[in-house]
Amino acid sequence: MSKEVVIQIEDARVEMEGRTILSLEHLEVSRGERVAIIGNSGSGKTTLMRMLKGYVPCQKGKVVVMGDVFPIKDTHKMKTHHRHIGMIHQHFDLIGRETVWQNVYHGRLGYVSLLKSMLGICSQRDLQICAQAIHEVHLEDKQRRFARTLSGGEQQRVAIARALAQEPTILLADEPVSSLDPALAEDIMDLLVSVCDAYKLTLIMSLHLPELARKYADRILAMKNGKIMWDGSSDSLSNDRISEIYEFMGTNGVVNGNGTRASRSAFTWPYGWQGQPLPGG
Amino acid sequence: MTPPDWSVWDVLLTSAIETLQTTIAGTFLGALFAYPLGVLAASNWTPIWVHLPIKAFMAFVRSIPLLLLALLFVSAVGLGPFPGVLALAVHSVGVLGRFVAEEIEATDPKPLLALQGTGASSLQIIQHGLIPQVLPQMVAHLAIRFEMNLRDSTILGLVGAGGLGFYVFLYVKQFQWQKSGVLVLAIIALVFAGEFAAWQVRKRLI
Ligand SMILES: Nc1ncnc2c1ncn2[C@@H]1O[C@H](COP(=O)(O)OP(=O)(O)OP(=O)(O)O)[C@@H](O)[C@H]1O
Ligand SMILES: [Mg+2]
Repeated sequence: MSKEVVIQIEDARVEMEGRTILSLEHLEVSRGERVAIIGNSGSGKTTLMRMLKGYVPCQKGKVVVMGDVFPIKDTHKMKTHHRHIGMIHQHFDLIGRETVWQNVYHGRLGYVSLLKSMLGICSQRDLQICAQAIHEVHLEDKQRRFARTLSGGEQQRVAIARALAQEPTILLADEPVSSLDPALAEDIMDLLVSVCDAYKLTLIMSLHLPELARKYADRILAMKNGKIMWDGSSDSLSNDRISEIYEFMGTNGVVNGNGTRASRSAFTWPYGWQGQPLPGG
Repeated sequence: MTPPDWSVWDVLLTSAIETLQTTIAGTFLGALFAYPLGVLAASNWTPIWVHLPIKAFMAFVRSIPLLLLALLFVSAVGLGPFPGVLALAVHSVGVLGRFVAEEIEATDPKPLLALQGTGASSLQIIQHGLIPQVLPQMVAHLAIRFEMNLRDSTILGLVGAGGLGFYVFLYVKQFQWQKSGVLVLAIIALVFAGEFAAWQVRKRLI
């Protein structure tokens, strides 16, 4: 079986405020792979995902995602690129004052024209896709509830459904279970993995816990200071190996650093002004 | 001022309605411009050369006392409620627009970024992400603005811009204290009713 490469990175470099935050020599991900990224806080996991999504530009090197060569300048192309890549976040990032159904429908926005979404016209197909996505995450009975009234686990399920409604090829999950308690975390991970199988998605997730990475991924990337220090199948990652890697990283597990910065970056007008320095931002 | 002279009932009714209409028209005309301008004035949504001039313009507008604005419009378009409407509208643009901008600057950007990540366009992000997040506060501000505009518009008549104030001033000039007293009572009642209505609106939102 020939592997279809969906992500290809050669010598890519991301710099911010004069610092090199990511420097990736070589990374290839094939369609259908399940990749976990582990590493300390501040090692660049979030930044890698944001780069793949097209939120942060890479200054150097070659990045090709789904045939789109970075940097993507054209806004229309960027929109298509965004649609191809679903993303879920640690804090779910739903619109709290909209219903579950509406939040899932947001996944369709990239496909519908402005006029139709203004008038609230949904095609039969959109309705079907949303219903299917909601079915996948077992939230049929909560469709009409406001998202902010749901529990954390339920909100993450809505976020997964929203990503599915996008009909993506790649699903990025940035610490999808870090704000959930451990028992629930496994439920969500099970769900995540099963929907990725059902929809034949390539899954790339950053995880705090090496055990989760080993259990749910086929392949694990360990990062440190913006570099990939280890890349291999999760079977080859023994306990000894893990402690070796983490020792190599300098700390045991994920502590300190100001890794929340990336996720707190201010929202800017999405199309047109991107890359402009913001006052105080 | 006593005893009150109730022969002004007809004048009271028509001018109270005029005041109310002036307030409603002025507030909503102002809001019509304040919302889009407020979005453009949010520093995290637009580049500095867009939001800074708009912010400055709104600050400038706010700094002009309402009566002075009304006087300007009276001299431009003549006596009556219309200049009153314009004065209230312009003043509301300054005040409401600033609230809109500040509200937008304070909203959590992450859900909006997530919407952008689905491939939604800017206007879709505004419609499906921004508006639902800021709507309750927007309505609350609008209610407060309405309440304050109602209070302000009762005295617009002093400069000839229509409403109850015009007759209060008229009767005061003619030393008809009993009549003007009734109208002052009406003003108090009207303002009180406006405050009550605004309070009801806000109560339902929280
Ligand atoms: N917008 C930004 N401007 C400047 N520096 C940034 C920005 N975003 C991230 N960084 C820096 O890049 C480094 C990597 O951050 P990143 O958020 O990718 O780490 P992470 O591995 O996701 O950490 P965590 O596990 O805490 O989420 C950090 O040192 C961070 O301070
Ligand atoms: Mg992170």
